[in-house]
Amino acid sequence: MQKYLAIIKMQVINNIAYPGDFLGRSISIGIFLFIFAGLWGTTFRIAGTDSINGLTFANMMWYLMMAETIELGRPRTNRIISEQVKNGEVAYILNKPYNFLLYHFSFGLGDSLLRVGMNIVVGLLVAWLLAGPPPSLLGWGMALVTLVGAWILHFCMMALIGLAAFLVEETNSFELIYQKFVFVLGGMLLPLDMFPEWLQGVARALPFPYMMYTPARLFVKPDVELFWQMLGIQWLWVAALVFLLAIAYRGSEKVLTVNGG
Amino acid sequence: MAVDMKTIQFLIALWKANLQAAMEFRSAFLTQVIFMMINNGAYFMFWVLYFDKFKVVQGWTLQDMMLLYGIAATAWGTAAYFFGHFTTLAEVITQGRLDYYLSLPKPVLLHVLASRSIGSGMGDIIYGIGSFIISGYLTADGVLRFVLAVFTGVCIFISFLTIIQSLSFWLGNTVALSQIALSAVLTFSLYPSALFNTSTKFVLLTIIPAALIGSVPAEFVRAFTWQSLLQISIGAFVFLILAVTVFHSGLRKYESGSAIQVEV
Repeated sequence: MQKYLAIIKMQVINNIAYPGDFLGRSISIGIFLFIFAGLWGTTFRIAGTDSINGLTFANMMWYLMMAETIELGRPRTNRIISEQVKNGEVAYILNKPYNFLLYHFSFGLGDSLLRVGMNIVVGLLVAWLLAGPPPSLLGWGMALVTLVGAWILHFCMMALIGLAAFLVEETNSFELIYQKFVFVLGGMLLPLDMFPEWLQGVARALPFPYMMYTPARLFVKPDVELFWQMLGIQWLWVAALVFLLAIAYRGSEKVLTVNGG
Repeated sequence: MAVDMKTIQFLIALWKANLQAAMEFRSAFLTQVIFMMINNGAYFMFWVLYFDKFKVVQGWTLQDMMLLYGIAATAWGTAAYFFGHFTTLAEVITQGRLDYYLSLPKPVLLHVLASRSIGSGMGDIIYGIGSFIISGYLTADGVLRFVLAVFTGVCIFISFLTIIQSLSFWLGNTVALSQIALSAVLTFSLYPSALFNTSTKFVLLTIIPAALIGSVPAEFVRAFTWQSLLQISIGAFVFLILAVTVFHSGLRKYESGSAIQVEV
């Protein structure tokens, strides 16, 4: 456990080493929120209503703030694994006294912690300016609890895509498609509440809403019953994807070929 | 004129070489193209869902958004496929990789920009043209306006990012700043400027010229007006002149790192 904590700490320090770059990346969330404020401000004004499908303008902005925070702070594990497989560095990682997947889990977590924290700070300031005060403490609590499962789901998907490099080498395209599934079916660009009924059904049968919609929706509209229900399904998906990842990793080890030294 | 023809021939030779390099990894290239098309289509699903609910917003319909995406994607794809270094110019400058280009008797900026090709750009081009075709604006004069709109869009995309990245000559590493500029101009270009207030619209027509790549060209293709024609033409011309001037001013400040570089 100590060694994994050390990896997390090392990655946090690595990020702090370049504060300008680190701060610069957090500005993106401000740009996105500004655009969404224009889009949804106009939409609500034209619709002539305070609430669309149960969500107000403020709800929408804080929902999008949380969703963007998750998207911009999710691990990029696939790119690292893919690069390590391509340049042969994977051979040096595999013979170290730690578990390959837990190493990447810790590495990704160290990377995400600061990014999520910084995006929350910048997002909070911008969203507050554009839409008024943030949701209640209960909303923050439910969002933080479900963020844990959401992050693990993201990690599992990213690692699965990264492991595909053992077979196909180039995995960027898979990430792009995965990202768009999360954008649309995960409810990042549009909350599931705005979807037609049939599409809501399709989305809820997949893991994507539990990576994005669940924390963001509970953040703006905390509901105890919905919280337990979503948390339960979210962790069922976590169990399923962790199992799948373990199988995929074992398979990848078997097809690994390291040439030279 | 003879010099211009030589430059064009040089550009064509570079593009041929880039294509040949891409064909060495044919399946990877095709995968990038196909996945980029799927990626754009999946992203556009947001607007399908949005307009399914709201139908018309500030005079914009789903068909108009298809047109806007068509122009922006084709412009981005063309810039990325034919002038791929326009997103990584800051890295070339800060890593001292301009040495190679400076040692050859060719226009430096053009040579750097065109010496890289982003394969997925071809996916954007195909998607963009497809999106334009199904948008319902496919008429003879509509095609001409679309081509002009894409051309000015390519000029503005490349020029804007060249200006921002040329700041590396004075400020050192501006990779993070360049990424923010890229993210801002690309994201804003995919939204109608009618959604924003007057001061934001002014910013989108000048400092971050995203409206000149998406909204204004889309309005120009929807219905010809001298105002929109002048906006995109003058915008492209001014940004192009600025980009060339800023890059060459910066080039005088360029210091080689003496590192051994290999350009393939």
